[in-house]
Amino acid sequence: MKKTVTIMLCLVLACTTLFAAGSGEKAAVKKDSNVVKIALIIENTIDDKGWCQSMHDGITEAMKQLPGRIEYSYTEKMNLVDAGTAARQYVAQGYDIIIAHGAQYKNLTLEMAEEYPDVTFAFGTSSEKGPANVFTYMPESEETGYLSGLIAGMTTKSKILGLVGPVDAGDAARYNRGFVLGARAIDPSIRVMVAHSGSFSDFVKAGEIAQSQIKSGADVLTGSSQQALGALRAVADHPNADIWWVGQETAQISIPEGYKVIGASAYNYAAVIIGLVEKLDSGVKGGEVIPMNFHNGGFLFEFNPNLKDKWEGAIEAKVNEALASFRAKSGTIDYMSVDYSKL
Amino acid sequence: MNTAVNILSLGIPFSVALLIASLGEMFNQRSGVFNLGCEGIMAMGAFLGMLVPYSVGHGGPTSEIFNVLGLLLAMGVGALFGLLFALVVVTFRAPQGIAGIGLQMFGVGVAGTLFRHFIGGTQSVPGISKFPIPLLSKIPVLGPIFFSHNVLVYIAFLFVPLSWYILFRTPWGLRVRAAGTNPRAADSIGINVTRVRYQALAVGGALAGLAGAYLSLCQAKMFSDGIIAGRGFIAVALVYFGHWHPVKIMGGALLFSLAQSLQLAIQGQGIAFPYEFAVMLPYVLVIVVLAFSRESQLLGPTALGQPFNREKRI
Repeated sequence: MKKTVTIMLCLVLACTTLFAAGSGEKAAVKKDSNVVKIALIIENTIDDKGWCQSMHDGITEAMKQLPGRIEYSYTEKMNLVDAGTAARQYVAQGYDIIIAHGAQYKNLTLEMAEEYPDVTFAFGTSSEKGPANVFTYMPESEETGYLSGLIAGMTTKSKILGLVGPVDAGDAARYNRGFVLGARAIDPSIRVMVAHSGSFSDFVKAGEIAQSQIKSGADVLTGSSQQALGALRAVADHPNADIWWVGQETAQISIPEGYKVIGASAYNYAAVIIGLVEKLDSGVKGGEVIPMNFHNGGFLFEFNPNLKDKWEGAIEAKVNEALASFRAKSGTIDYMSVDYSKL
Repeated sequence: MNTAVNILSLGIPFSVALLIASLGEMFNQRSGVFNLGCEGIMAMGAFLGMLVPYSVGHGGPTSEIFNVLGLLLAMGVGALFGLLFALVVVTFRAPQGIAGIGLQMFGVGVAGTLFRHFIGGTQSVPGISKFPIPLLSKIPVLGPIFFSHNVLVYIAFLFVPLSWYILFRTPWGLRVRAAGTNPRAADSIGINVTRVRYQALAVGGALAGLAGAYLSLCQAKMFSDGIIAGRGFIAVALVYFGHWHPVKIMGGALLFSLAQSLQLAIQGQGIAFPYEFAVMLPYVLVIVVLAFSRESQLLGPTALGQPFNREKRI
């Protein structure tokens, strides 16, 4: 009896653990020489309203723009160990491009690339050039941060802003520094409270940070990665107060807390994916860094149509001016000049 | 002054999930069983706590009654998980550490799977609103710190004297302590050790479920995978930290949360201090205090972790 129950419990546990990770196939098309098979491996889920969703949305958008050219599968909630197994399965199934969406997958990707030189791998964010069959991508998110900073700087009344970062690295660090520069461009006396949760997904802690900043007088907040949702939720807990949010994911505008989101940027991974397909068509299998910026269509921005009274006029004009400048030329924001200890 | 008030007023609600879960774990350990599966039960509680108000109130205002139902469901399922754990470690006498890790994975996995099936993606709920206590909340300094929180915060701190009373002043509390200190002696005077451990694990499970529901209904007001983020393990550590005593456990939960609140303030003030160290501060503090706790002070249940076999001779 004891043995039977123990075995049953083990089986239930194993099944639960296995099925807790999601996977799916989208719009499989008949395989021929023209079709590019793309596999996506992500740490969170395709609907996390943050980092992973933006890549998933980008691939599905690329499929619409290149009808019949892309076959797509994804695997969710992959830690580093499981990601290797998933990637090998995709290699065995003949996938042409395997995207491991996160800088944490760097070592895994480089090992796999050496093992399977005929398969193209991609990971990001990274500004390092990889081997001949590895693409990296790097969002130059100081541009989106700068736009958010402009809006926050022109909206704030307390002249105190809150910034809820996950970690001080990669595109999050660039976004945060761009935000500081944008706000300071409006008013150099604005104080930006910067705090990091130390996690991309702990939105409880992100909410705690936002609460702390609001209590300290911050009236416009922002944040990046999926943890930012917790901070936005904390902002939405003040329905009648003049406390607002500027987002790094346009999906935040359409959720119930969206009534606090003045505007938001988003990564347009469709441009990256289409670029990857085109490079593969031309025989380039990797060895390049793909930057993402407004200039190459890698970023999108939109205001919240329900909050026109908050942005119509001066803010809209200022943002459009900055957008025009970014679209004309990339790399104009010196985000490295920001020193948090001097804020 | 304002900064200090902010640190204190935020530290108190931050401590609640840890406090409730630690008190539950205290009952487990006082009966002789440590439950590393606390994290998994909290994950189930967090999911179920928000499932009721989300399902009923989706697209419209959620009344407080559905929040209460969510809390009760979280507690009920938490108790069932506690009983499941009891079946494995008390009846089948499986190693408690391994079984606890299994329960943790099971709870997190089931919560995540059910979440994807019933809800899909990250969703928020209106949650439980703050309830500033009339008059008291208006007292300068003390009002914002102690009397401007949601109802569950007040209830959680009422659990501390209640737990103390149950543990040290009731016959059941005496049986729990006896089962965890010397189960053979307890058995010899007619205490059903197995039953007492089942009861204690059910209570501990219910409180862990409630702690999880606090996170999803009061603090984050949403659920997503990984919402517990290691808090279940911290709750287990706090029981050792608090020497299996409700008041000391409360002290540990408050110390950890105030350190958390303090590190947020340090980051927010732009003090030139690496944020990585600031984030570590609460954890380092707990380790340091644990390390400096004298061995003689660790008056823990002496039969902790030991399965009880009535038929086995010493």
